[in-house]
Amino acid sequence: MTALLEMKGLTKNYWLTEKQTDRTYLFSDITATVKSGERIALLGKSGQGKSTLLRILALLEQSDRGEIRLNGVTSRHTDTRVWRTIVTYVAQQATMLPGTIEENLKTVSKIHNETFDDKLARKLMKDVGLESIDWAKKATDLSGGEKQRVALVRSLLLKPSILLLDEVTASLDQQSKESVENLLLNWNAAYKTSFLWVTHDSEQARRISERIWFMEKGTLAADCETEIFFNNPTSLFNEVTT
Amino acid sequence: MSLLALSFTLLFVVITMLLSVWQKLDLEKDIAIGTVRAAIQLLAVGYVLQFIFKSENLLLIGLIICLMIIVAATNAAKRAQGMKGVVWRIILSIATMEILMMGLLLSLQIIEATPQYIIPLSGMTIGNAMVACGLFLTQLKRETESSKGEIETLLALGATSRQAVQDVLKQSVKFSMIPTIDAMKTVGLVQLPGMMTGMIIAGADPVEAVRYQILIIFVFTSSSAITSMMLSVLCYKNLFTKDLQLKKW
Repeated sequence: MTALLEMKGLTKNYWLTEKQTDRTYLFSDITATVKSGERIALLGKSGQGKSTLLRILALLEQSDRGEIRLNGVTSRHTDTRVWRTIVTYVAQQATMLPGTIEENLKTVSKIHNETFDDKLARKLMKDVGLESIDWAKKATDLSGGEKQRVALVRSLLLKPSILLLDEVTASLDQQSKESVENLLLNWNAAYKTSFLWVTHDSEQARRISERIWFMEKGTLAADCETEIFFNNPTSLFNEVTT
Repeated sequence: MSLLALSFTLLFVVITMLLSVWQKLDLEKDIAIGTVRAAIQLLAVGYVLQFIFKSENLLLIGLIICLMIIVAATNAAKRAQGMKGVVWRIILSIATMEILMMGLLLSLQIIEATPQYIIPLSGMTIGNAMVACGLFLTQLKRETESSKGEIETLLALGATSRQAVQDVLKQSVKFSMIPTIDAMKTVGLVQLPGMMTGMIIAGADPVEAVRYQILIIFVFTSSSAITSMMLSVLCYKNLFTKDLQLKKW
């Protein structure tokens, strides 16, 4: 597998508060690589900067130091819009755009002036368990879990090479969670789409990933194969669960 | 109106000040300053206009209109503190509107090409455009903050800056036009506009006064629409960094 996305020395500062006097950065010096078709679970306690890291990788936020390369070209030398169609971020809080479900699903084709792939959209909606939902329904009226799944389908229609998934199954019931996992695993197999998936669910991380990134104390404390991460008795995972 | 009659109008100011003292509103100082400023400013403008009307100097007319635009833009820009270069954008929007409006009014011979018509009409349309700009910028800030999620969702899907804020701009332009449209709907029923009232008091034929008021209302609608739309086109890129990220405003 070839390196698709590389990050070198990524650092993000934060504003100091009275209590946070020990550290001036949210995370620092993160160096890692995402290969084509790789499935990575990003673990770590809340407040470690996992979401911020994903937003930086999607160029929605600026890092304070370091650089990111996509296919060997730095973000500074790549058109931001082109980057975002290749590296697509799916937020933790799914935001529905004004209008119907259909209009939300058609957003990508409208933005990029392309023909809407109705067949693929219907298949994806079926795969996430929303086959019977009325597309004429107002998107803002959907439940949190439904919104999350529509948002995922909307992003998949962009067919990115890397998906940055920020706790996308956190608001789903077990059945829907498994549907989404299966969809993404099949999608990964069919399109070789890499994903970097933030989750707090270690069982889910075992199921969906082949590699683990573990963030702790503002660093990328572990970057190893999933099996090694969970089976090593001295693993940092023990610290996560204890 | 004689000067004696004019001085009697101070009675209204005295009533307001007494009410302020009675209700402990602590507004006496502000009312006194406001009264003196209003009297001096209006009398000064009266003399300036008298001088310009007599001279009929085109350069002077142009200068006074430029001054009106600059003052209006500086005032409206206060609604968008933190947005770089907004004053110039407002000046450009209002000036374009003024050129278009006056160009049409004069070329179609709707008004005479004399300072008596050009200056008051310009003042009214520029004032109306200033209110529209202020409302547009206030709403733009509010909508951008409340629609951050939608804007970033669109950006994450590869949208251009224009596509990402299209709805925000539309809502802000609509909001800036509400007072003008509401005034158009209720004029004559709820309020008798100042210009028409002034003309009637000054002895003009009420029908003639109404005709001018209709002209003003139609010009207002168009001027607020042109100014806000142009300002939206000139401002939206300022909401983003060069890397197409939403700025903290």
